[in-house]
Amino acid sequence: MAVIEGALVYSNLLILLSIGLTITYITTGVPNFAQGSFAIFGSYAALTLLLLHNIHPYFAIPIALVLGGIIGVLIYVIVLKPLIARGAEIVTLMIATLATDLIFLGCIGAYSEYLRSITKRITTKFIFTQYDFSIGNFSAILFVSTLVIVVLLLFLYTLLYKTKFGIALRASMENPALAEIMGVNVEYTRIFSWFLSGALSGVAGCLLPFRQEIVPATGAIIIVSIFAASIVGGLSSIYGALIGGYIIGTSESLVTYALSKLLGPGVLVYGKVISLFVLIIALIVAPRGIMGLKFVRRLTR
Amino acid sequence: MSYEYILMNIALWFGLYLIVALSLNVEYGYAGIPNFGRALAVLVGAFAVGGIVNRVLIMLLNVNGDIVKASGEVKSLANIMIAHNPAYGITLLIISIIIAAIIGAIIGALFILPSAKLSEDYLAITLLAISEVAFMVCNYETKLVGGYYGVSVPDILAFVPGEKRMLAFVIIIFATAFLVFLVLNKMLATPFGRLLKAMRENEELVKAYGKDVMRTRIKVVALGSAIAAIAGVLFSFYSVNVIARSFNRVEWTFYPFLMVLLGGIGNNIGVTLGVLSFVVVKVLLITYKYEIKSLLHLPFESTWLEYILFGIIMILILLYKPEGLIKEKPIFTKPITEKIGKLDKEKNQKE
Repeated sequence: MAVIEGALVYSNLLILLSIGLTITYITTGVPNFAQGSFAIFGSYAALTLLLLHNIHPYFAIPIALVLGGIIGVLIYVIVLKPLIARGAEIVTLMIATLATDLIFLGCIGAYSEYLRSITKRITTKFIFTQYDFSIGNFSAILFVSTLVIVVLLLFLYTLLYKTKFGIALRASMENPALAEIMGVNVEYTRIFSWFLSGALSGVAGCLLPFRQEIVPATGAIIIVSIFAASIVGGLSSIYGALIGGYIIGTSESLVTYALSKLLGPGVLVYGKVISLFVLIIALIVAPRGIMGLKFVRRLTR
Repeated sequence: MSYEYILMNIALWFGLYLIVALSLNVEYGYAGIPNFGRALAVLVGAFAVGGIVNRVLIMLLNVNGDIVKASGEVKSLANIMIAHNPAYGITLLIISIIIAAIIGAIIGALFILPSAKLSEDYLAITLLAISEVAFMVCNYETKLVGGYYGVSVPDILAFVPGEKRMLAFVIIIFATAFLVFLVLNKMLATPFGRLLKAMRENEELVKAYGKDVMRTRIKVVALGSAIAAIAGVLFSFYSVNVIARSFNRVEWTFYPFLMVLLGGIGNNIGVTLGVLSFVVVKVLLITYKYEIKSLLHLPFESTWLEYILFGIIMILILLYKPEGLIKEKPIFTKPITEKIGKLDKEKNQKE
C-alpha cells in the first residue's frame, strides 16, 4: 500500500513539473532544462522557512509558489527574451537553459552551505518525512499533493476556458502570429506562462522532500523523469503532461518495485532506466506523444 | 603551488578537453547535431578501461573477488609487471584506446538512431536522458565499474619515476590531442567536411542532392564518440581509477559545449583557442580555491562559484558573441577560387 501511495505522490509532483515544462514549451518553443532546478529552488525555500521561521512546509506552499513564479519570469526576461529577439535557433535556446540550470545548481549549492553555516544543521541533504502526519491510514502528503493537482486543474480550466485572458493565451499557443494580428499581446502570455511554470515547480519542490531525499543536484536527476513525462504525453499538450506524469510516475516506482520483488533489491537503482525505456518506446510508437495519436485527437476534439 | 605544477595541470586538461571539444565540434559545430549526451561517450571510454580491460586482466591474472576488490589487487600485480617491462604498459594503453574507440563508435552509432524520427529539440532531450541514465546506473550499480566506490586501474607508467609521471602523461595526452587535431582537420577539409556543414545549414538540400542524411549522421556521431571515448581512457589511466561520478554532465557535456561556443563553432583553430582560455581559467580557479574562498569570505565551496561563473559566461557568449572568438570562415575550394579569379580577370579586362 505504501508503495502505491508513494507512486501516486510522486506522480502528482511529476505532473506539476511536466505541466510547467509543457506550458513554457508551448508558448516559447524551448524545452526548459532548468525545470528540475526550479523545483529544488522551491525545496530550499521551504527548508529555509522551516529552519529559520519554523513554518511547516505545507504552509510554505504559497511562498514557494510566488518565489518560483518570480524566478521563472526572471529567466524568461533576462535570458530567453533577448535571445529570441535576436532570432536565436532552438538549440541555442536549449543551451541557454542548460546554462541557467548550471547557474541555479551553483546558487543552490552555495546557498545550502551558507544555510548550514548559519543554522548548524545538515542542509546539503534533507528530507521532510518526519514533519508529515497521517490522515486515516494515509500520510498527509498524498492528500496535499492530490489537492494541489485538483486545484491546479480547476484553475487551469477556468483560466483557459472561462476568461478572456485564457482565450488569448490559448490563441497565442495555437498560432502566435495570428493572435498578435488579432491584438493579443503575445509577450504577456509568454511571461505569464513562465510565471506559471516557475510557480508550479516551486510548489512541486516544496512537496518533493516528503517523497525523496533532496541534495543540490537533485534537479539534474529528476529532469529525466520530467522530460519523459512530458514527451510521453506529448510536449505540446497540457493534458498530455497530466497523463504522461501518471504513466512515468507509476511505472518508475511501481514497475521498479515489482521487478525488485522478482529479481531482488539490486533492481531499485534502475528506476530511471524504466522511465527512459518508456520514453524511448513512446518516441518510437508515438513520436508526438499520446496526445498526438490520431484516435486520441479525435476523442478530445 | 609551484608554477610548474599549475602549467602541467593546464597542459593536461588542455589536451583532454581539446580531444572532447574537437569531437563535439565535429558533431555540433560541423554537422549541427545537438549532442547533449557527450558525457556518455567519455564514460564509455572510462568503462572500457575500468569495466572491460580490468575484467580481462582479472581473468588473466587469476584474481578472485568482486570488481572493486579484485581491481585493486590487479593494479598492484600489473604495476609490478609494468615497472619491470614498460612494453606491458604501452600495450595496455594502446589496446584500451582501440577497445574504447570501437565501443565508442558502436554506442555512438546506436545512440543517434532516434534522430531518424525526431526534431532537434526532442533529439537533444533524448540524448541527454540516455546519457544521464547511463551515468546514474554506472554511479549506483557497484557491479559494473564499482559505482560510487570506483575501481582501480593499473598505472601504465609504473616504470616512470614518480616525479616525472605527470610530465610523461602530459606528453602522451598532448600527442594524442595533436594527432586528433591533425586527423580531423585533414578529414574535414575534404568533401565530407563540406557535406557536414551543408547538412547543418539545410538538410533538405543535402537530401535533394542525393546524400543520405541519416547515414552521414551515424558516421559523424560514431566518429565523434570514438574520439571522446579516447579522452575517457586517457583520463582514467591518468587518475589510476575510474569513478563514474567524475563523468558528470557539467564537466563532460556542458563544458565542452562552452569551449566550442567560446572558440567558434565549425572551426578547429577557434575551438582550440576556446579550450585553452577555458582551461586556464578553470585550472586557476581549482588551484587557488582555498585562497578564493578566504579572500572573498565565502561561506561555501568555490566549486559552486565556478558553476555560476561558467553558466553566466555561457549566457554572455550566446547573447553577445554567438560566433565565438574566431569566426568560421567560408570555404574556398579550388574550383571556386578559380572561378572567382576568372570573374575578377574579366572585370579587369572590361575596365
